[in-house]
Amino acid sequence: MRLFEYEAKEIFRRFGILVPNGAIAGSPDEVDSAVRKVGLPVAIKAQVLVGGRGKAGGIKFADSLEEAVEKAKELMSEKIMGHRVRRILIEEKLDIRHEYYLGVTIDQLSGKPVVVFSKEGGVDVETVTEERPEALISKHVSLSRGLFQFEARDICQQLGLDGAFLLKVSSILHRLYSVFDQYDAMIAEINPLVETNEDKIYAVDAMLEVDDNSLFRHSDIKLDLSRRVEDEIKREATKRRLSYVKLKGDIGVIGSGAGLTMTTIDLIKDFGGEPANFLETGGAITEQLMERAVELMLRDKRLRALLINLYGGINPMPAAAKGIVRAYERLRPKIPILVKLVGNQQEEAWSRLESAGIPVVKEIQTEVAVKKLMSTLGR
Amino acid sequence: MRLMCILVNEKTRIIVQGITGGVGSIQTKLMLDYGSKIVAGVTPGKGGTTVHGVPVYDTVKAAVSEHPADASILFVPAPFIKDATVEAIDSDIKLLVIITEHIPVHDTAYIREQTEFVGARAIGPTTPGIICPGKTKIGIMPANVFMEGNVGIISRSGTLLYEIAGNLTLAGIGQSACVGIGADPVVGTDMMDILRLFEEDEHTKLVAIVGEIGGVQEEEAAKFIRKMTKPVVAYVAGRVASPGERMGHAGAIILRGRGTAQSKIDVLRNAGVRIANRPSDVVGLVKTCLQC
Repeated sequence: MRLFEYEAKEIFRRFGILVPNGAIAGSPDEVDSAVRKVGLPVAIKAQVLVGGRGKAGGIKFADSLEEAVEKAKELMSEKIMGHRVRRILIEEKLDIRHEYYLGVTIDQLSGKPVVVFSKEGGVDVETVTEERPEALISKHVSLSRGLFQFEARDICQQLGLDGAFLLKVSSILHRLYSVFDQYDAMIAEINPLVETNEDKIYAVDAMLEVDDNSLFRHSDIKLDLSRRVEDEIKREATKRRLSYVKLKGDIGVIGSGAGLTMTTIDLIKDFGGEPANFLETGGAITEQLMERAVELMLRDKRLRALLINLYGGINPMPAAAKGIVRAYERLRPKIPILVKLVGNQQEEAWSRLESAGIPVVKEIQTEVAVKKLMSTLGR
Repeated sequence: MRLMCILVNEKTRIIVQGITGGVGSIQTKLMLDYGSKIVAGVTPGKGGTTVHGVPVYDTVKAAVSEHPADASILFVPAPFIKDATVEAIDSDIKLLVIITEHIPVHDTAYIREQTEFVGARAIGPTTPGIICPGKTKIGIMPANVFMEGNVGIISRSGTLLYEIAGNLTLAGIGQSACVGIGADPVVGTDMMDILRLFEEDEHTKLVAIVGEIGGVQEEEAAKFIRKMTKPVVAYVAGRVASPGERMGHAGAIILRGRGTAQSKIDVLRNAGVRIANRPSDVVGLVKTCLQC
């Protein structure tokens, strides 16, 4: 789960990382008092969970109160890369001398945290990797040992920093690693890290993505899906730990296991159809979960058909079948539903589905199910 | 002794951590039915009971002092998995098969580091486990889609592994071993490690890779495949899937454009791998390669 900038900054601040003076406005009416609190000139920043916000026009500046109110109104009436702007962060505008980049993430291959520090930060930091690799350093960290202060200093020294400045930056790097470590972060990032003309160093932007699977041990983070997830079906799916991605087509897909579900989508496209979504159940199917998944799919008015592709290894197939039947009998969908289901206790599951009048594909090949669905649709 | 299977064989002695839970208990029964040598189970607080005839202990240490074990399969809930794996590692168990899903990535990374320190190996998490058809299964896969033979399969997806193995079995092509490595951001054992074991295993004539988008497992595996003597075929899922929201700059800086289905397919093909466009195409490619 990615936090909003202002939420991430609150955490960074608690860990001793300097952030610009700021205040949140939830409506244009609140901008006035926020600006008075912060002091002019100000930066006006849309709080949306997308990358490339600056380039998409989500950050504006103002020298007067009137200008600030007007620009805040503009931002709140717009969508930034498809996301509604519900809150605005008003911040003091800094006198910037130089922008750096600091980030900590997990290197998926080695399974180790990796610290990345670039002497050139800002919106184009990724091109630094290709064009000026000497301006950038990355270092793997042992998760059980942690990052020592001296290691942070070593990293800064390798990029040519020294003296008081080295000490300041390395201390921010060390603190950022602590945030990463204590918040189970997938990524903790400061871009840009700004050096001002007054020799101060600020985290001007803050990105913190906390691992969804770790939320059980971070009670201070409020999930609050209504503010984070725009799409209603995705929001309901996320609540039930179903993983959902909306696509552009009209054939709904439910699958057990990400690989099988992706394959189903690939094959639909291969046979000339357009998948409407990716919805994956994981390995904890119950009758209720399956009923809910089917119900969620049927809320999507774009659907012309629904394909359900399940495998019984760890998942109980009779319970899955019961759930599908319950949703089917309750909602009486007008679109065709086809179920491909194989694995443990498949016979019992098949007979439940067939007695309810739901067509079943018993072959192991997903291709067979997709072809059958396409011919049902006359495509 | 001639190695008949990678990682495990019919003699591998297994403990089940989390044996008394709903899933742990059912899957223990299915593994016993398959002939897997389960010697003990562990659930803290349930010591002294039995599950399908398997004695249950409160601690791993107590279990292995009565029943020496080579491997552990874990059905422990995610919040307790870090504790349970380190407990097994401390009892000198060298192979951990972690079935549990939704484990925090930091915990998996920690577990991986601990196994590296002591020369143990974790498979998973979110894995269907390992099956050596006809010999043993340390996992949750439905046994009926597998048969004994000489194709090794490595899969990041559980259910897609069943589909592809099932396709091969229907065509009369058996498997030497099938290993699900899991598709979490961090996994205990990489695709490349399993490829190396298959390359050394005289029983395996060909390796099939079942990949999917995300991470760089396939790209790294391709480096090793260039040096392999055995043929490799692959299917990669997720050509249509959208890349999803970017994971900040640090992720992009490290990945440098890798991780998409197309990138994986290109890199594998350049390493000499035959690519199946559909899961059922794997059968034809395997048949051709086994004859060459």
